[in-house]
This record gives sequence, C-alpha cells and structure tokens, in this order.
Amino acid sequence: MWIALSYACWGISIVLALWMLFDWFKVDTTYSEGVLTSSREGELEAVSEKHRI
Amino acid sequence: MTVAVETAGTAVNGGDRVSLLRVLGPAHVWALGVGIVLVGEFTGWNFSADKGGTLAALIVCWVVGLLYTSVAMIDSEVTSTVAAAGGQYAQAKHIVGPLMAFNVALFLVFAYTMLEVSDAILLGDTIVAKAGIDGLTHNSFIAATIVVLAWLNYRGVLMTLNVNFVITAIAYVSIVILFFSVSPWTQGAVLKLNELVTPGNALPYGWIGVIAAFQFGIWYYLGIEGTTQAAEEVRSPARSLPYGTMAGMITLLIAAAMTWYVCASLMPWEYLGITPYPLWDAGKLTGSPLLENLLFVATLLAAIASANGCINDAARAWFSLGRDRYLPSWFSAVHPKYRTPYRSILFLLPIALAFAFIADLNQAITFSILSGVLQYTFMSINIMMFRKKWPLGSIRRGYTHPFHPLPAIVLFCLCVVTYFAIFLGFGSQLIAMIAFYFLISVWFHFYRYKFVRRGDQFSMPWPKPQGY
Amino acid sequence: MSRYTPPEQSKTGQIFDIVVVVVAIFVALWLPLKLGLAGAAKSIDALDAKTWEALGQNPTMASIWEKLGYTPETAHDVIQNRFHYVIDWPTLIIMAIVLIAYFVFLFRASDREYRDVIIEKFEDK
Repeated sequence: MWIALSYACWGISIVLALWMLFDWFKVDTTYSEGVLTSSREGELEAVSEKHRI
Repeated sequence: MTVAVETAGTAVNGGDRVSLLRVLGPAHVWALGVGIVLVGEFTGWNFSADKGGTLAALIVCWVVGLLYTSVAMIDSEVTSTVAAAGGQYAQAKHIVGPLMAFNVALFLVFAYTMLEVSDAILLGDTIVAKAGIDGLTHNSFIAATIVVLAWLNYRGVLMTLNVNFVITAIAYVSIVILFFSVSPWTQGAVLKLNELVTPGNALPYGWIGVIAAFQFGIWYYLGIEGTTQAAEEVRSPARSLPYGTMAGMITLLIAAAMTWYVCASLMPWEYLGITPYPLWDAGKLTGSPLLENLLFVATLLAAIASANGCINDAARAWFSLGRDRYLPSWFSAVHPKYRTPYRSILFLLPIALAFAFIADLNQAITFSILSGVLQYTFMSINIMMFRKKWPLGSIRRGYTHPFHPLPAIVLFCLCVVTYFAIFLGFGSQLIAMIAFYFLISVWFHFYRYKFVRRGDQFSMPWPKPQGY
Repeated sequence: MSRYTPPEQSKTGQIFDIVVVVVAIFVALWLPLKLGLAGAAKSIDALDAKTWEALGQNPTMASIWEKLGYTPETAHDVIQNRFHYVIDWPTLIIMAIVLIAYFVFLFRASDREYRDVIIEKFEDK
C-alpha cells in the first residue's frame, strides 16, 4: 500500500507540474508582457490612505 | 496615472492592469503565520534539548518567546504602515535603502525556501518511518508535497490560505488533545517529569548549553513574521495584520509551553534531542494507538501547512524583487486569472525540490535559522530608523507598539546571543552564508542597481523623512 | 538633480542575471554541505561498560529507552554523542568581524542609494 502511494505521489507531481507548465505557456502567449507585469507597489494606498493627520 | 481598482474575476483587456487580489481577512493572516510556524513544535525545537538539555529547551522557549514578541510588535507597527507584498523587503526599501531591501528579500526567500525544504523532508521521513518498509524512500513524498502545494499557490491565494487555516487548526487542536489526555495535572501516572529531568541532567552542559540552545529555540516561532507578506492581499492591512500576528504569537506561546511540558515528561533528553518527530513519539509513548495516529497525522498536516505558507511568502518576496527591477522584471508577472505571482512560484519550485533531495533536515533548518536571525537583526535597527525618520504623529500608523525602544534593544541583544549560539557548533556555516550575502551585495550595489529606477522605489504617500 | 533613467536590459542580460543568482544560491547552500562544513560538531565519548547505570539512566529512563526499542548497546552512541563547547577565539573574532563588516557595508551603501531615491522623489516635483 505504501509503495502504491509512493507511485501515486510521483504521478500527481508529474501531472500537476505539466499542468502548470502548460498554463504558464498559455498565459505567456495570450497576454502581452506589459499587461502581465503591470502590478505596482502601493497602488491602493495611493487612493485610500492619504497619511494626513 | 490610472489606478486599477480590481474586482475578482475581471477580464483583462488591453489597457487594464493586473495586480494581486485583496481577498484575505485576519483569520487568513493567523493561518499564514501560525501555519508556517507550528511545524516547529512537531520537529526542530527539540534539537535545542540536544544542545543544552531539557531545562535549556524550556528557558529558550521563554526567552526566545520574548524575542519573537518583540519581533511581532515591531513588525506590526511597521507593516501596518508599509503595507506591500514583500513585507520586510518593502519596509527596508522605504526606511533603510535599496541594498538593504535586496538583502532582506534574499533573507526571506532563503529562510522560507529552506523551511519549505525542511517541511518536505520531515513529511517524507515521517511517512517512511510509519511505513517501515525496506526500499521505500522519501523522494516521492517530498516531490508530491512541493509540487502539489506550488500548484495550490499557483491557483490562488484565497484557497491556499483557507486550506492552511483548516489544517493548521487541526494540528493545533491535536497538541491540545495530547496535552489534556496525559492528565497534565497529575505527575507520575503518564508524565514523569521529576524522574526524567533531575538536577544532574537538567543542564548537562551548564549555562553555555543554554546559550547554545538559542539556535534551535528560534525554531519554536520562526516564520511568524511572514504574516506581513500578505499585506497586499489583505482587505484591511492596517487592522488585520497586527491583529492576526499578535493572535498568532499568543497561540504559539501556548503551544510551545504545552509541547515542552508533555515531551519533557515523556522522554529522556538524549532521545528528545535527536528525534525528528518529538510529538509523534510522545503520542507513541502514551501507549494509546489513537493518540499515536492522531499525532502522526498532525505532524504531516503541520508540515504541509508550513510548506504551503512558505511557498506563498517566498514567492511574494521574489515577486517584489522583480517588480522593482532588483532582479529581472520578468518575475513580477501576475497571473491574469488567478492573480498570483505565478512565475516566481514556478521559479522557486525546482530550487526547493533540488535542496529537498540533497540536504538533510538538520542542515536545512540551520540555513533557515541563519537567514531568519540576519533578518531580525535588521528589524531591530529598522524600527529605530523608522521612528527617527518619521516620528509619531508625522504619518498615520495602523498600530503603534508600546515601550519603544525597549523591544528593539531586547531583540538586538537576543540576536547577538543567537549568533554566538550558532557559532557554537555551526560557525563555519555562518561564515559561508555571510560571505555569500556579502558577495551578492557587492554585485547588486556596483552592477545590478543601475537597472533600477530611483524615485519610483519609494511608493508610499509619505512626507519627506527627517534628516534628508 | 536630473531624473535617472536606467538602461533597458536585454533579454540575454536578464537571463544571464538569473543564472548568476541561481548559481550563487546553489554555491552558498550546497558547497558547505559538500565540504562537510555543515552540521553540528559532535563526537562520541565512548564508554567501556554499556549498562543503563553507566550511561547515567535511572530505571524510569531505561524503561522509556526500551519502549522506544533501544538496548544499552544501541543507546550508547546516542547518549554519549556529545557537543564539546570550546570557544575558539580566533574563529569567534573572525566571525564577529565578518558579521560587523557585512552590516556596516549594508547600511552605508544603502544610505548612499537611499539619498538618491529621496532626492528624486521629493525634489523633482
């Protein structure tokens, strides 16, 4: 039973790793680099918190 | 500048921005903090008994508890004001400067990745020990842990931390169940503290052993400061982060005290100091199969919760480095559908796997502790500079910690003691690590920094710091 | 002060930088393992008489060892494997110097970079 579990673990790892690689490839070819890396630090703070006493 | 106000599931079209999603509440912050740390009760803290005896383990449990209470207080104040992914990295960038920030981010990535590696090794070894079959190795279990959790992190932060909340709670409750089922109020029936810890063996190495024990005492609480990594995904960081972090610290102090009491009353210190799974062993030694199996499952769950939180935190620190171009900006991509730093998660995955296959538990833990202590040293100086550059009243703080500068001084002194403790036994490793950080800092300062935009790094809407 | 515009990094340059960082991480973490520097400095103080009494275990402790599947012979290497704390002053001093030098460099270089950041952020407007 433990040996079977061990093989199952390899299986799951490989399937999920391949899925992630596939999704990565899909996302990188669908969206432009500009959109993907458009996150900026402190955006929300700029609107919601003015830091005035 | 247009500010993207994100709502869950918004489709991304041409001009839009993608950013991390603000979906988490205080319970998730607690789950992230305690989830990462609780595995320390299931393995690691007990190596402090090896270095100084059972009593030393108790002394460091309390003294290091004090260190971490200072960490939690200081961190809550700074992070409730600088709420950005990357946590201490963003703090360092705004308060000390870019090179410090670069180093802090590396401390974070190393501490969490090596902690994740330790968790995976622990999980694999625990299953192999339970199975007791010749030829069964831990590699498949390690691979499954790291890959499945990376996948969970890839798919979204909310589900990741919901899972963490449930499994952390189960692991925690199992410690409480163990504690109450050994009748802690009567010594002699199951617990034999006064026969196992005698005046002769309580401190086998004397006081130097107590100091040496600091190294692994860190492991009782290491990672609680990771709560700040969630800052950009928490709905109201100024309130949730201090609340979740403090609640987490109280939870851990209780767990650490219960764990010590049960384990010290069930095992001789020589064994306690070397076993990889003290709580599971404690379960076995009660003689109850139910408790034994409960603690076996809890050990696995604690390891999973910890590795899960570590992937979350390490990926966010790496992501922030990319976002400021400290590292190639390629890493700063956010997944348009799941809103996670997916490239950072994928990049760190093979590194964690590689170390999990080549290192052993003890070594991975030491790497992690070293990076942690370097970071705490930074935090103690950071808070002093924060209060000096922006005194109370000059900016709005979500939380102001009491007794300043006492916590910072306590933290700094305890860090110095811990360096000495690491020197006793792991000195060459410490020097090798510092050499690495030193060289990579030189690389950053003289070469890599030229790709960084200067003024843009300072993203908080604060007034100019005093003294500049 | 004029605004600093960083050069655009080429794809090759980006990949090269990633490789540098990965190699550095592996060298820092893997080399100590390889050279046997990592791990605690413990050694076994061998005893001739391998009994629970000689190993300093009282009857309660001995019964727990036995429950865990140890005999005095197998427990000997566990119990007698001890740390020997000697303070090696030259190494300690080297460690302290390295550590202090590292932090001094960090804070000083950071401060120089930080001043540029503040000037650009607050004086450009």
